[in-house]
Amino acid sequence: MNITWRLAWRNLWRHRRRTWLTVGAMVFCNVLLIFLISVQLGSYQMMIDNSLGAFSGHLQLQHEGFDEDQRIRQSVPAVAERARQVQDLLGEEAVAARGIAYALASSEERSFGIQITGVQPQREPRVSTLPGLLREGRYLSGADAEIVVGALLARNLRVAPGDEITILGSGRDGSFAAAIATVVGIVDSGIPELDRALAQVSLSWFQAVFSMGDHGHSVVVRLPHLEQVPLAVTTLQGLRAEHPELVVLDWDQLQPGLRQAIRSDMVSAWVMYAVLILLVAFSVLNTQLMSVLERTREFGVMLALGVSPGRLARLVGLETALLAAMGLGLGVVAGGLLALYLQQVGFTFPGMAEMSARFNLPERMYPPVTLPSLLWGPLTVFLGALLAALYPALRLFGLRPVAAMRAS
Amino acid sequence: MHWPLNSLLTLAWRNLWRNYRRTLIMLLAIALGVWAMIVMSALMRGMTDQMVRNGLATLPGEAQIHHPDFLRDPSVVNHMPMPAGSLLQQLEQAPITAWAARLRVPGVLASEYASRGVTLLGVDPAQEAALGSLPDTLLEGRMLEGPDDRGILLGASLAARLETSLGKRIVLMTQDTENDVADRGVRVVGIYRARLQGDEERFAWVGRGALQELLGLDQAVTEVAVTGSDYAAVGAWLPALQASAGPELEVLGWTELHTFLGTMLAVQEGFVLVFMVVVFLVLSFGLINTLVMAVFERTRELGLMQALGMRPALILSQVLLESLLLLALGLLLGNGLALATLLPLRDGVDISAVAEGMEIMEMGATLYPLLAVDDMLMSTAVVLILGLLASLLPAWRASRLDPVRALARH
Amino acid sequence: MSSIVCRDLCKTFQQGEERITGLDRVSLSIEAGELLCLSGPSGSGKTTLLNALGGLDTPDSGSISLAGRRIDQLSRGALADLRLREIGFVFQAYNLIPVLSARENVEFVMQVQGVAAAARGERAAAVLAEVGLTGLEDRRPGEMSGGQQQRVAVARAIASEPRLVLADEPTANLDTHSATRLMDLFQALNRDRGVTFVLATHDPRVMAYARRLIRMEDGRIIEDVAQQPAGRPSAGGAG
Repeated sequence: MNITWRLAWRNLWRHRRRTWLTVGAMVFCNVLLIFLISVQLGSYQMMIDNSLGAFSGHLQLQHEGFDEDQRIRQSVPAVAERARQVQDLLGEEAVAARGIAYALASSEERSFGIQITGVQPQREPRVSTLPGLLREGRYLSGADAEIVVGALLARNLRVAPGDEITILGSGRDGSFAAAIATVVGIVDSGIPELDRALAQVSLSWFQAVFSMGDHGHSVVVRLPHLEQVPLAVTTLQGLRAEHPELVVLDWDQLQPGLRQAIRSDMVSAWVMYAVLILLVAFSVLNTQLMSVLERTREFGVMLALGVSPGRLARLVGLETALLAAMGLGLGVVAGGLLALYLQQVGFTFPGMAEMSARFNLPERMYPPVTLPSLLWGPLTVFLGALLAALYPALRLFGLRPVAAMRAS
Repeated sequence: MHWPLNSLLTLAWRNLWRNYRRTLIMLLAIALGVWAMIVMSALMRGMTDQMVRNGLATLPGEAQIHHPDFLRDPSVVNHMPMPAGSLLQQLEQAPITAWAARLRVPGVLASEYASRGVTLLGVDPAQEAALGSLPDTLLEGRMLEGPDDRGILLGASLAARLETSLGKRIVLMTQDTENDVADRGVRVVGIYRARLQGDEERFAWVGRGALQELLGLDQAVTEVAVTGSDYAAVGAWLPALQASAGPELEVLGWTELHTFLGTMLAVQEGFVLVFMVVVFLVLSFGLINTLVMAVFERTRELGLMQALGMRPALILSQVLLESLLLLALGLLLGNGLALATLLPLRDGVDISAVAEGMEIMEMGATLYPLLAVDDMLMSTAVVLILGLLASLLPAWRASRLDPVRALARH
Repeated sequence: MSSIVCRDLCKTFQQGEERITGLDRVSLSIEAGELLCLSGPSGSGKTTLLNALGGLDTPDSGSISLAGRRIDQLSRGALADLRLREIGFVFQAYNLIPVLSARENVEFVMQVQGVAAAARGERAAAVLAEVGLTGLEDRRPGEMSGGQQQRVAVARAIASEPRLVLADEPTANLDTHSATRLMDLFQALNRDRGVTFVLATHDPRVMAYARRLIRMEDGRIIEDVAQQPAGRPSAGGAG
């Protein structure tokens, strides 16, 4: 080992307690950051996956303006054929066509205004998790006059599988739309907003009841990874040459709150992290400044021997880097173990169940251990520590050998 | 034993400034920590406070009275009589500041082009105004003029989706007490803008009397919303209200009506404390370090003091006093910085860049930090108590030095 | 080889209220290959002159040239380089680096000079043997006596084969045997390799080896005489 490295390493241990306390501060902060960031990134991923997976998908093909106005006339012609076309273009299986209409749903005892979705019973389970969350009965078979409703809507309407619901609304041409459907299944997603509003029928029957012909309102695509969205959007733009009235909306446009919720949460989280990192940097600054000040004499000798101040500054930098590397290494190991443990066992805190339902999150979190969640925090702490050593290191350039050697 | 507090204090103070750089850095670190504790909790508290306020404006009220079955089955069938007798008397009494009897029923609005399911609110505008639950902004037309107003007030985005506009007639359909569909044409008299787009699409406002007439209800309503002056103090008047409402009616406070908000508030209280302790823990490493070094550098001197007859307890308290001075200075500086940060922000912080995300949290586009004296006291308590605890170890070590060996140190 | 020429060196220090004269119009020229002793009471300016000659401290006025090059006008970086390549220092209070062993202290300067590791190790071992520290190479300064530390400091100064060695009380902590041995070593280096030595000392054992003696008082040179040095007349290492 090189003498400079040896010198740096031994200097660190001249005050063992001080070094350990400083390393301890870094390790503590690193473990905390790894925990917080893995929970944070994990919950973002889940928020996105759960929110998009439940209903909206990663992207949709719609008639221009439908997303804002939701008018029945803003429809996609030959929607089933479009869905097949999208499937071919993207080479993805998870593509489904939907129709959407608003109607008054009445059971024997109750009436509610609801949104009715016409879905392709074979394809819908590929794009949405809802068909898999049946509490009672079965999913749509494709036959006419079958309806699946959300658990809260079923309660509000006081219906159970086998009961009938009368649907009153208006068709695409403005005509009166009326039909009777039998409840075949009840979906309980645990997300109140969905469970209160969900009502699905088969697309073909939907088209018949609401005089849609072969029209629908959207083609929903679910992609394996979020990163594939931009490319898929570009691919689908090609459809607009033939059908200029259609638009492709990505998840951010479909659920504009989601990305902003994540961004605002990130802002406040990073303010908090910055405070912690700054405090650790102060700790390092203090240690390194002390270490430089108490060695003034020694540095004076080295200067007298002809060692340049730059070299001394590099020595202090190396010492800090070693110190910070210990904090980094131990912190990543300890934080990684904690994160791995939580990934297996999960964790919760009082009130988390209520909070997480709001964001489509489960009651118990199993934060995934990823490279970014493991390294982001500790690396920032490492850099912060190096920056903190700048002041003590720069002080060395002001040292005069004779005066420094006289220092007590 | 004589405790020369004055000279101890002088000694501690001078010792603090012997290594002024180290002391200054530690002071800055403590001040930064305290600043973060107070500012972060003020921002969090401001955020939660606003979420609760906004939530309560939509709920509306800090407590509600219903037919016992209404919340499970929100149908007009589960209606209740207008407040009268002792309940009415209770509602008119302080600390209750306002109340409103209203009808909340599901309904469908249909224009010639489209129809939408909505929640119909049949209200007495005067009562609602007192409650603070009316829509924030009227874009066009007028507000409802009284309980018997026969017009309808729609949100701007609902009007767009129905392809209707001010002055047009739309059909209002709902279910009456006999489970039959009752419908009537109504004229759009006003278009409003709500803080949250979801509310704008969901709520359509009509006169209470007019809705009662359509539903075939005489003087019945589905809910009475009640508010006092402080949402945190609902517990003070809720039991009396429950008593006077009698067993026929269910009276619930907002924490039960809107469990998310209640939980949110509790979680935030807990989080503020956890955050303060965490910040302090990070800080404590530096604090202990500073004291350990201060004691280390003075080993000879401390040995001399003992050799001169100073008792270990006195040495312990001298080091503790030094730590206390450092902490107190840091607290003073931190509190000062926090005030200097928060006072200019009293009029709110613009967070519109992330406003849509905040909608999920029932927030608006401006955040008002809420500086609570409790938070300042809590941060002071956390720093002083934990700080002195952390200082015990180095102080104890200082008091346990062997004078002969300490003096032999160069 | 280097010759040193000083003209009218002046240096004062502020100490509290008082101004202390360190050097008072000192003019001196030293030929390459001299072995010269500076003597005089404490505070007479020996150390200040030594520091000035080594470019550690810059005089308030006057000039110093080393081998024809003015060093009082060099930048700090250039001075550092000069000290590193051409001058070996032995300080009054040995000033070893406490966390490095004897061998590492000696190697340190060579490492900064960029000497390869193998050559460094060999040279360090050889120099430590010359000052009689074989077997103690791995001790740290805290584990050695004052005399041993002094000898490490000397080894460090001569290890990089400087052309000029400036030593401040190099024998202050040495017994007569070690002191003699050290001076024999200095004399051998001076004679065989032409290394110039400027030694500040009170020690008559040291002064006996000098070919030129300079006495200082109150920052001034009051006596400058040549003498016949003692010690072994012929070449040869220590025995």
